[in-house]
Amino acid sequence: MPVNPGAALTDAHRRHLLRRAGLGPSAKELQALGSASTRGEAADRLLGFPAKALKPSGREFENLHNNWVKALLKSRYPLQAKLALFWHDHFATGFSKVRDTRMMGAHIGLLYYYARGNFRDFVKAMNRDAAMMEWLDTVRNGKEIPNENYARELCELFTLGVFDLAPTPQPNYTQEDIVQIARAFTGWRYYGRRATAYLEDFQHDYTSEFPERGPKVIFKTRGGFGPSGRNFAPTSGDEGPQEIDRVVDIIFEHTDSQGKNTVARRTAYRLCQYLAHATPSVTGFVDQVVADSNFASTWDIGALVRSILCHDDFYLTAGADYSASGKKSVKWPIDYAVSTLRLLGVKPSGKYFQILGGDYRSMLDHLADMGQILAEPPSVFGWDWESAWVSSSAMLARYRFARDVAAARSRAGFRPEKLMNIGLSNPASIVDAAAGVLGVQDHLTGAEKTILVNYLTDNGANPTLDLTDYATRNTKLHGLFALLMQSPAYQLH
Amino acid sequence: MALTRRQFLTRTGLATAGTLFGPSIFGNPFVRQAMADTIGNRYLVVLFLDGGNDGLNTVVPFSSGALRSAYNSYRSNINISQSALAPYAIGTDPATGTQLALHPGLANLHQLYTLGKVAVIQGCGYPDYNLSHEESRIIWQTANPLRSMSLAGTGWVGRHLAGEYGGGDIPAVCISSSVEPDFQQTATSVLAIERLADFGFPYDGFDTADTPAKRDAFEQLYTQAAGNAQPIRQYMGTTGLTTLLSSESYPQAHEVWQTERPAAIRDAYAAVNRSTARDLREISKVIYAQERSGGPIPNVDAHFFQLSNGGYDTHSDQGGAQPDGQHYGLLAEIGDAIKVFYDDLVDMGVANRVCIVVWSEFSRRIPQNDNGTDHGSQGPMFVIGGSVIGGVYGRHPNILSLDSDENTVYSQAAGQYRSTDFRDVYGTVLKHWVNMSQASILANVLPLDTGNPAEYWTVPNFDLGFLP
Repeated sequence: MPVNPGAALTDAHRRHLLRRAGLGPSAKELQALGSASTRGEAADRLLGFPAKALKPSGREFENLHNNWVKALLKSRYPLQAKLALFWHDHFATGFSKVRDTRMMGAHIGLLYYYARGNFRDFVKAMNRDAAMMEWLDTVRNGKEIPNENYARELCELFTLGVFDLAPTPQPNYTQEDIVQIARAFTGWRYYGRRATAYLEDFQHDYTSEFPERGPKVIFKTRGGFGPSGRNFAPTSGDEGPQEIDRVVDIIFEHTDSQGKNTVARRTAYRLCQYLAHATPSVTGFVDQVVADSNFASTWDIGALVRSILCHDDFYLTAGADYSASGKKSVKWPIDYAVSTLRLLGVKPSGKYFQILGGDYRSMLDHLADMGQILAEPPSVFGWDWESAWVSSSAMLARYRFARDVAAARSRAGFRPEKLMNIGLSNPASIVDAAAGVLGVQDHLTGAEKTILVNYLTDNGANPTLDLTDYATRNTKLHGLFALLMQSPAYQLH
Repeated sequence: MALTRRQFLTRTGLATAGTLFGPSIFGNPFVRQAMADTIGNRYLVVLFLDGGNDGLNTVVPFSSGALRSAYNSYRSNINISQSALAPYAIGTDPATGTQLALHPGLANLHQLYTLGKVAVIQGCGYPDYNLSHEESRIIWQTANPLRSMSLAGTGWVGRHLAGEYGGGDIPAVCISSSVEPDFQQTATSVLAIERLADFGFPYDGFDTADTPAKRDAFEQLYTQAAGNAQPIRQYMGTTGLTTLLSSESYPQAHEVWQTERPAAIRDAYAAVNRSTARDLREISKVIYAQERSGGPIPNVDAHFFQLSNGGYDTHSDQGGAQPDGQHYGLLAEIGDAIKVFYDDLVDMGVANRVCIVVWSEFSRRIPQNDNGTDHGSQGPMFVIGGSVIGGVYGRHPNILSLDSDENTVYSQAAGQYRSTDFRDVYGTVLKHWVNMSQASILANVLPLDTGNPAEYWTVPNFDLGFLP
């Protein structure tokens, strides 16, 4: 069985787990994972975080952003942090339209609170989240002409997807479904300091008031409900406040053209892409973890993630296999930056939260140039992953970040003598030790190590190095770390 | 230590990259030789209005009649009055004879129109329109409405580039943090640059004598990756190498532009000071680096450019003709920026060799929702340049007869309201500007739809007439 919680772990597996499902394989994290000897035990340990909302705060956007990054740097629960980042991309909401740090903080709090919680409850919470209501115009959705923005993204991005995952993709819904779902969300507003959502009755689209729009029925042609579809507003009783929950319940019962639960499959597919690799097999990976975790009935995200972390395919990319099928993924910029700082013990500092080397740039500037500003995704579609992170502009930003970190020679900066034995003089041993600090030893090829050894020795001119010498250490060892952080291997995981 | 392109090709072994591992869409290594069609000394700029620009309020029915009456009934809160439109009148809609006008925010673009440098192509769309931003944008960028697998992952400009250029070439630049999907392919190198000035390679200043050693090691690491079997690592390898090379040449392009361009030109960009003007200024620098009388900057030879401007998703607070309105501000930003850019090109003496194509992923719903508009179907495109034959092309979409979702209907059936497929606009640009043969365009870049000829794009028209 490919989902195999009892399979034994090697050290390389543990490092892989902490790269993919954590924020880097630091000595401390590896120690914490220490005695976990199987996939299941290790997954349980990483998933053993409390369901607690972390709400970054701050008066200005920059404070909010920096406080979130700070929380990532300090996080005791790296898998929770990593999942919250995934949900941030999934429910991508940006400050530029929300314009309120408190509401944005509460929104981020939901991403942490539900990180491994119940996915259906998570979506229902998003229906009423003030930041989301601003972002996708629910607060501007009135009965006269329902605004379709939230209804469309609820279906397209948060749950079903436009097309299903069948070999010949089929549409999951029609424009008519979006029009009808938009009616459910008419009249929702929020009030007060806590931005509590409520239904403004007179702005709601009641079937009796708009009989020409028909009964509130969705999925008459898609989703496996048959030609009568599903009515989300029963004629007697609670038309109004319950509709937004009923819509979600119906969406979560939707089945695709292959009879699989559409939401479970798509959500699992994206989590497999995020945690394991870019092109997961639908039948050989995604369907298996959905079945193993009972995700389509329990909606337990934690159970789904556990199944993924116990699947053979998750460990496919643990080693230095760069064959065509190695399927490695490009680290997200936030992952690249945060895990580097955690591994090296470097802390951004001061009012502007700067890296104190090179150009002394702020973390916000570094991350913006790499293409990922937290709490400010480019649009509701979130970020494009994989090769989209690899542009000349974004790569140059990573090279600059690496240079700046390696050049941060102050007390809060980069101190390699604290991370590795600087008594080493053999260049190959130095390369191994530095690669070990950055957790990239599993991904460097022999040829790449040779290139780095040649760098240290100036192509053999200086066959050994004295790293206790200030100038040598600051030139060659800092230079080696910069090159490792800039290397192709370190961009992937 | 700037490398020449020749050295770069030799050192990295990428000289034949385009034919060796560039997945040409038909997998045929000889396609490249067959496509001896090049843009020559001309330049193409593709400007994307991100979010779905409201076409009906961009090119507005002006003269009284059926279209104007329908417009008034659909657009009461965001209405642009005939008096507000009067100064910005343009040609007439060939289908109905209605005189049209540009949104008042486009006053500066209207100036170029009166000079005969702006083609307005009305009602551009595609079959089975999609109302998702993402889906529709990808359809336009990949020119792939029917989701053919052979076109997935490559853009319409990208497919041209892949046929013409190799791994060591840098024929295109996106003014962006990432390579946009219309320029994507994996046979050649497209740069993503936000600001040329910031594109220098970062070296630690602690011991500059070590810099050549760092550079060599970096280059070798990325050369290893470029030869790797795994596509993502290979892509990272070529990107890293072209980044290194460009970091040694593009900042120079910025320097010479700053020191050699007239102050009036530089001030004009600064006066607009919006993102589109700033991005066009970067494109100006790349063009100038190739055109300057002092001789070209080595390794700067891009002829295809991409930029975008966001914010067009005007579900609410769209505004009408008032200068403080949202849509007004968006259109003024692009109109003002294009005018400054055009004047700059005239001063450089290259205006006749630059063509700007403006598009958006869809237009917006014909009836307003309240004070905004939801997603719609067909919208206008603009093609702008010194060689462009200005005027109104294509037919106004039929707002008198909407579908059940209240959008206009794409149709290829002969008649008054036959639609313009956006691929005919692309095709006209590729044929009359990029100099591709019609056969090559159809075979390599824009394959026809199959299906009912009244509903699908089965007969190309790459001679729409807006380029000579």
